[in-house]
Amino acid sequence: MPLTRRRAARITAAVLTVAAIGLSAAGCGSMSGKETIRFAFSKREAIPFMNDVVATYNKSQNKVEVIMDTSGVDVTSASFVRGNPPDIALANHNMEVSRFVERCTLTDLADTSAAQRINPDLTPLVDQYGVCEGRTSALPYSVMSASVIYNKQIFADHQITVPQTWSDLLAAADKLKAAGVTPFYGTFAGTDAWTIGQGWFDYSAGGMVDMKEFFETLHEEGVNVGPHSRQSFQKDFLEPMNRMLQLTDNYVNADAASRTYADGNLAMAQGKAAMLLQGPWAFSEIAKTAPNLELGTFPLPMTEDPGDLRVRVNMDLAAWIPERGHHHQAARDFLEYLYQPEVIDAYNASQLGFTPTTDAKQNDDPRVAGMKPYYDAGQMYQGPSVLVHKSIPVFNYAQAMVLGADPQATLATIDADWARLAFRQA
Amino acid sequence: MSTPTAGQTQAVRQRRRHVEPLYWWFLVPSLILFTLAITIPGLVGIFFSFTDSIGVGDWRFIGLTNYVALFSDPAVLQSYLFTFGFAIATVLVVNVVSFMLAVGLTSRIRLKTPLRTVFVIPMVISGIIIAYVFQFLFNNSLPGLGEALGIKVLSTSMLSNPDLAWVALVIVTAWQAIPGTLLIYIAGLLAVPGDVYEAADIDGATKPQQLLRITLPLVFGYVVINMILGLKNFLGAYDIIKGLTDGGPGTSTRSISMTIVGGFNGGDYAYQMANATIFFIITIVISLAQLRLTRGRSL
Repeated sequence: MPLTRRRAARITAAVLTVAAIGLSAAGCGSMSGKETIRFAFSKREAIPFMNDVVATYNKSQNKVEVIMDTSGVDVTSASFVRGNPPDIALANHNMEVSRFVERCTLTDLADTSAAQRINPDLTPLVDQYGVCEGRTSALPYSVMSASVIYNKQIFADHQITVPQTWSDLLAAADKLKAAGVTPFYGTFAGTDAWTIGQGWFDYSAGGMVDMKEFFETLHEEGVNVGPHSRQSFQKDFLEPMNRMLQLTDNYVNADAASRTYADGNLAMAQGKAAMLLQGPWAFSEIAKTAPNLELGTFPLPMTEDPGDLRVRVNMDLAAWIPERGHHHQAARDFLEYLYQPEVIDAYNASQLGFTPTTDAKQNDDPRVAGMKPYYDAGQMYQGPSVLVHKSIPVFNYAQAMVLGADPQATLATIDADWARLAFRQA
Repeated sequence: MSTPTAGQTQAVRQRRRHVEPLYWWFLVPSLILFTLAITIPGLVGIFFSFTDSIGVGDWRFIGLTNYVALFSDPAVLQSYLFTFGFAIATVLVVNVVSFMLAVGLTSRIRLKTPLRTVFVIPMVISGIIIAYVFQFLFNNSLPGLGEALGIKVLSTSMLSNPDLAWVALVIVTAWQAIPGTLLIYIAGLLAVPGDVYEAADIDGATKPQQLLRITLPLVFGYVVINMILGLKNFLGAYDIIKGLTDGGPGTSTRSISMTIVGGFNGGDYAYQMANATIFFIITIVISLAQLRLTRGRSL
């Protein structure tokens, strides 16, 4: 028996040794003598573009080999939990990243030359996703601006000009409806609740409520958020939600409740509706069916004052370098390369995004031209649906309202969720 | 007296210790994997449920705060109500349908083998694919059919009706789960000896009587197995719901697993670990209760 046990121990040791060798080999990187850095990038539509950027960079010098990791947001998040984050990332800047920022797990980028060129208008927006005191934890790379997408031909056919006020919008929708044209294409199907969140919910609220102030107050109020706090969803969002419901109840396709995001793009491409509340990412999808369709964009007017018009933006990509990465200098060199005007401008032109640098040459695609004046003037907000903590299913709540739930009660639920979250994180 | 006893005990002990080493090779790899991949992470998760960890960075102990917040969270309560209602309904549907199918498929009918193959096919398709296919059917084909036939109930998608979406989930989950249950029932029915039916025939028992009084009691062990396995599976419902409704419309079909996973990705790690701990305890209690209630009647 002791003999067997000793043999078992020996075999176990052998297995462990082999495993250890395997692990350390994986950790050391390539054998070519180049320093290897892992670059997380998971924006699906842009992977081919970024592949070329990485290949060019790898060929341009012989010190660093950049390896692109496209395994996705959830995997990147999990890698932080395991203490093995990527060396550098270009990632959607959202509440999920905010926890890495707030707990100071990202390095300070303030002294990079890229940081000096960032448009100062954007700093407060980036800071909405949390700050680590004294650090510039993330730099915006691509700003996506979203608003109403409209079919220029249909508008021209019915002598409709781009609406600037809420009553203009209703008049336009009435006119289209009377002519038998579906004014808005709704995609409210179960799995695509995000389309309601990013479009209907965000544009309505963002067009009426000052989002920056609103969320600052909500963070201050914390556990007190509710009917008696200074601001709350049930107080400030009720009016915008009622207007949103006025649109979704009267001016969308009859089968909106079972239509998906893909259905919406196809319907727009086929001219089945005049307007779609989507971001620029939908353009490439629509172009698959109708490459020459003339489309434009305008911010959803929610008030009677054209001065209130604002576009929804999101930090579609931001660059950051985790503390726990092993190759900070190499990662920073690559970051500077990514921010070279010819790289960053080309990237944003390819994705119809806005370049967040002061020296940017913005793209002049007619499809996003309608939003450019607002972006340039700083009249923009980040959508409430992405500023709410991810554990609050705000997309689902928005969907519930559109499908008939009472807005007052639903907004009160969001308040209660907010307060409960503040309670356990206090 | 004492000497032989001691000697015997030792002999027994020695015999017991002499385990065929091969058996260890069967056990050890799974034991290592199970410990590393399930037991340790599980304990770590329970530990973190008493902290304010978000999965990264610093954390501190906050005692039972997560649990207090959990019990006052209507969203969590709703997910439990939904999941249990869904699991019980699905278990009933799956077992009734597959038992009837099994009886049919073990009787002397033609085309028995091809029919069995047809019924078992859903088993080999992954849940998420089934969900996407059925999503299309529910959102497009069924409303189209309803419109063509003038049936008003069908003409709007069941998936976008908060009161009916769960029915669609039960149907699709049952469709996928029936083959597995069916195979177990077929095995059970084939094990029932034919002579008891002959005896019943001679005694003048009708076919329904035979089914209720002979077949059902004789395969009751299989019913128990199917109920326990089914309930366990359906309580963990995730992929089919993800693909069909993603918890919607609104939050009407958010299962417990979806809430837990959502919190994990959304930086709500410790809180959902508390949720997972509670869920774990409830599942254990249910399994023990089921085993106890059916003890003596199983195989």
